[in-house]
Amino acid sequence: MWGDAWRRLRKNRVAMLCLALVALFTLMAVYGELVYRYHDFKDITPSYQKTHLDLAFQPPSSKHWMGTDGLGRDVMSRLVQGVTIAYKVGIITSLIAIPIGVFFGCIAGFFGGKVDDFVVWLYSTFASMPGLLFILAIAMVVGKGLLGIYLGIGLTTWVGICRLVRGEVIKHKSQTYVQAAQALGLGSGRIIFKHILPNISHVIIVTFTLRFPAAVGTEVFLSFLGIGVQDQPSWGLMINSARMRLWQGMWWEMTFVTLAVFLLVLAFNLLGDALRDALDPRLND
Amino acid sequence: MFKYILKRTFQMVPTVIGVILLTFVLFNVVGGDLAAIAMGKKVSLQSLETFDEQRGLNKPLFFGTRSKSRACEDQDFSDGAGRWRGYSNAVYSAEAGTLTLQPGAEIDPLAFELKAEDEFVWTVTYKGAGTLAGQALSSNDWKTEKILFQGSEEGGFSTADVPLEIRSVKFRRVVKNPFDSQLLFYVKQLARGDMGYSESQRQPVAQLLKDGVLPSLSLTVPIFFIGIILSVSLSLVCAFFRDTFVDRFLVTFSVALMSINYLVYIVAGQYFLAYKNGLFPVWGYESMRYLALPVIIGVISGLGSNIRFYRTIMLDEMYKDYVRTAFAKGVSKPRVLFVHVLKNAMIPIITNVVIAIPFLYTGSLLLESFFGIPGLGYLGINAILSSDIDVVRALVLIGAMLFVVSNLLTDICYAAADPRVKLK
Repeated sequence: MWGDAWRRLRKNRVAMLCLALVALFTLMAVYGELVYRYHDFKDITPSYQKTHLDLAFQPPSSKHWMGTDGLGRDVMSRLVQGVTIAYKVGIITSLIAIPIGVFFGCIAGFFGGKVDDFVVWLYSTFASMPGLLFILAIAMVVGKGLLGIYLGIGLTTWVGICRLVRGEVIKHKSQTYVQAAQALGLGSGRIIFKHILPNISHVIIVTFTLRFPAAVGTEVFLSFLGIGVQDQPSWGLMINSARMRLWQGMWWEMTFVTLAVFLLVLAFNLLGDALRDALDPRLND
Repeated sequence: MFKYILKRTFQMVPTVIGVILLTFVLFNVVGGDLAAIAMGKKVSLQSLETFDEQRGLNKPLFFGTRSKSRACEDQDFSDGAGRWRGYSNAVYSAEAGTLTLQPGAEIDPLAFELKAEDEFVWTVTYKGAGTLAGQALSSNDWKTEKILFQGSEEGGFSTADVPLEIRSVKFRRVVKNPFDSQLLFYVKQLARGDMGYSESQRQPVAQLLKDGVLPSLSLTVPIFFIGIILSVSLSLVCAFFRDTFVDRFLVTFSVALMSINYLVYIVAGQYFLAYKNGLFPVWGYESMRYLALPVIIGVISGLGSNIRFYRTIMLDEMYKDYVRTAFAKGVSKPRVLFVHVLKNAMIPIITNVVIAIPFLYTGSLLLESFFGIPGLGYLGINAILSSDIDVVRALVLIGAMLFVVSNLLTDICYAAADPRVKLK
């Protein structure tokens, strides 16, 4: 399955471009994290946090490719740190939401009956909650900072995955390989996680690729409102500070940050679509 | 039909209970100290206790006969002396993990006057002799004792000529009815239709909600209708020109629209259209003109995902037998598309549309706060930023309830349109 999918994906030029872009962003995120850890370990202020008031508001030049912000900090190095934050949010919220969704989806689809009723009740309750407001409420209750964002986004977005996985498991349950496994007397846990789950893993991968940009967008939004990241250079905070500057004609911080958000989200969205087409050929009519 | 409606309404009950429980768990259980979130840590314990009492937060969560009081925190002296360090005639020893009250000491650890009609209980582990809340303590060995007293009585420690060593103290309020819990209080409050009181705006939440609905609707209703008309027509264009340049362009265009952050639309719209070109007012809510820009931004931001969604629906219909039959009969392509396909595609479209209705009431958080439209979204953002618990909880709850109800309405409409649904 994976070999076929890879061959199909390679033919799609847009998808390969997006994959390259995603790889580039990933490298930036790893680099940003290393820089952050290094400075944290040595206990020194990294250059992207140091203020140089005499260098404030410099337009893009050979020294500062993307100019400097209101406190004279290089926009480009802060942008790279922003990638790290965005990746952290995308990955950690997925690590919260996907296991919850997959677990509940699997047991609901496989066991049916009372278990299914319970899971359907649980996810329809969560689905009834007004999206963004609920995330904001969780973040408010947990407290400002990244933890609130992780929990807020993670605990609200498992519903979609749960629904998808439940539907897939119900489809697979009646297939012969599951019946054979049952006839051999294998335990339910083993059938679900060793036999059915690998067969529906493409659903999980596609979901991951498509929910990643959504989580990043929400983080930008929350940090912008001042509920998310507090003292690290997050894209949301950068947009917030650049917004006022824009009116005074300082366009560079705003432009580059929004461009970065746009490219990251677009690359993941297109890649997710391409992956879905490549992994699930039945969808191609 | 009536039977079906009854059945579906009955099925709604568990979800409503779930929504109430979930908001309860989020705010009362996970939230922990709501009074501290709402009022900050710098206010007196007395006002925190008043806040708790108004919202029933001084009761046990689900069930119980004892509840904490802010008048005195639990203290195990092996962990430290906490607030007990301040008393001059009490000596704290960290190695022994005890607090020793010197002879002749008089200590009242209660932070404020207790309510006279309530009963309270001390649980104290001590050695030596003295009095607590007017009752004598005397033991040569470590002993744990519970001391019950009325809120109108004196509640403090005192010693005569022998010192009193204390290892730990606990202070609880006696709850007369064990079912008188936070959950019951919350449910009762909802049953009365009481939404609570906004601390930051000094108004009942119900009043704030009433004031906010109209401005919200004046923004979201136009966005809703213009958005539907525009995206359904564009998706029909996609279906008409399937697999041509136009279709591919529109699909790519809608992915690009989806990828632009909401913030960017607002910031760019405000900057370029309102500030630079002066086409629209930048901020405010005075006349229809003020709504134009937020409506445009709202429509554009939703366009991408809607086009994609409706296009999938149209294409699903395009491959059905009746469409092939129509083409075989020689019906023209526009007629098939606009008469046959559109009519059948209406069912999933209506489902999608009705589901979006509750969000019209809660307004748009971002648009309202950026353009200064005094609706529910604006209220919500401000409530979050000022930690106004009651407002946030009311908005979350109302949003969820509206969603559940409109889900029910969708199903009923669906059953009315397509009788097969009832049989499932």
